[in-house]
Amino acid sequence: MKKYLITFRSITLAQRAERALLAQGVRCHIRRTPRWMEKKGCGYAVEASMADVEYGLALLREQGIVYRNSYRLSQDGTPEELGL
Amino acid sequence: MIYLDHGATSFPKPPAVAQAVARAMALCANPGRGGHAAAQEAAKTVFSCRELAADLFDCGTEQVVFTQNCTHGLNIAINTLVRPGARVVISGFEHNAVTRPLHLRKARITVAGRRLFDWDDTLRQFKKALDRGVEAAVFTHVSNVFGYELPVEEMARLCRARRIPFIIDCAQSAGTHSLSLRKLGADFIAMPGHKGLLGPMGTGLLLCARLPKPLLCGGTGSDSVSQSMPRYLPDRLEAGTVNVPGIAGLAAGLEMVRALGPEEIGKKERELAREAARMLREEGMEVFAGAHQAGTVSFRPGTDCEEGAQALARQDIAVRAGLHCAPVAHESALTLDTGTIRLSFGYDSDKTQLIRLRQAVHTSFSLGNP
Repeated sequence: MKKYLITFRSITLAQRAERALLAQGVRCHIRRTPRWMEKKGCGYAVEASMADVEYGLALLREQGIVYRNSYRLSQDGTPEELGL
Repeated sequence: MIYLDHGATSFPKPPAVAQAVARAMALCANPGRGGHAAAQEAAKTVFSCRELAADLFDCGTEQVVFTQNCTHGLNIAINTLVRPGARVVISGFEHNAVTRPLHLRKARITVAGRRLFDWDDTLRQFKKALDRGVEAAVFTHVSNVFGYELPVEEMARLCRARRIPFIIDCAQSAGTHSLSLRKLGADFIAMPGHKGLLGPMGTGLLLCARLPKPLLCGGTGSDSVSQSMPRYLPDRLEAGTVNVPGIAGLAAGLEMVRALGPEEIGKKERELAREAARMLREEGMEVFAGAHQAGTVSFRPGTDCEEGAQALARQDIAVRAGLHCAPVAHESALTLDTGTIRLSFGYDSDKTQLIRLRQAVHTSFSLGNP
């Protein structure tokens, strides 16, 4: 199980994503997007522990939940952009 | 007090609504700004309400925008669809919340269908106006003065067939009628949170099927670097801090409406209006009633309507008199000079109230008073 950060343009989309992932049994919560990640200013992200991030992102796309970017978080919290 | 002014606002609110407001005041900070617990709690509260509304009105979560009231929503919608000087068709029963923004934009307005409770006439006139060429249509679902339920499904179909964008004012039908943004195919549907949806005053919903023009620009907690309002909903229309305690209360109201069923509530109100109309006629009042009537009925007592309403108020019956901010509706019904006294029933109205109402009407009007 790895930790991921998925970023969104609005809190409403982040909330929809959280709801969708929770419904799949994914442990996740909403947090503010780190400032350096969000070039457009302010945003919200979902931090999630997932076995299969591609499945998780595909689920979001299927439900029309548009995300901005996705990152894998290492043990010390350092993000690595996934480009998915 | 017997409260028969639910057309102005539902009153008193269900206890769960007040409790939800108090809870939000205690636990919620500003949503969509910070990331701390109180901000998250606020965000969850707002999202919950949005989801409830999306479910009730058959639309996407982001298509639900929080407004201050129905008038606010109608202004946004009209500002989006109606360019200055545009030709617009409205029904014969519109509220000033529709006509004043159109007037401000110097719209060339055609009023279509002025016969109360007459679907054939409404549809015939509406179709004629559409075929003459208009750029938009704005129409109410239920007249706030007379309770006339317009044939909105068919009016919507006529607009869709001609690709004419349209706005529906659901001020008096949200919470008492089944409404689907998707099925109606409206560009916008505006409604207050504080009437049939049982929420606090200062709340409203605008359901958006197309990208609107913002009336208000400011911080949205999103895409802050850009100096343009976001091009996505709901952020595009929610600049500034939303009314979190109000939205919390609205969520409680929506839950109640969902549990009771809007059509069940509407059916009960309709029956009460019918019963009240019959009783008022027996008391010698001039009553405006007919087929396709929701839970609102207007009457004229033969004396000044405002003094009549005062006489009823002295007997603890709360009604509204005058023009009800709807001079167009009164013009259509030929009641502009006198106004009417309006009874509007609500989710908790019942037949026992009609007994006291009858006594009050008899005392106030049938005995040569006021």
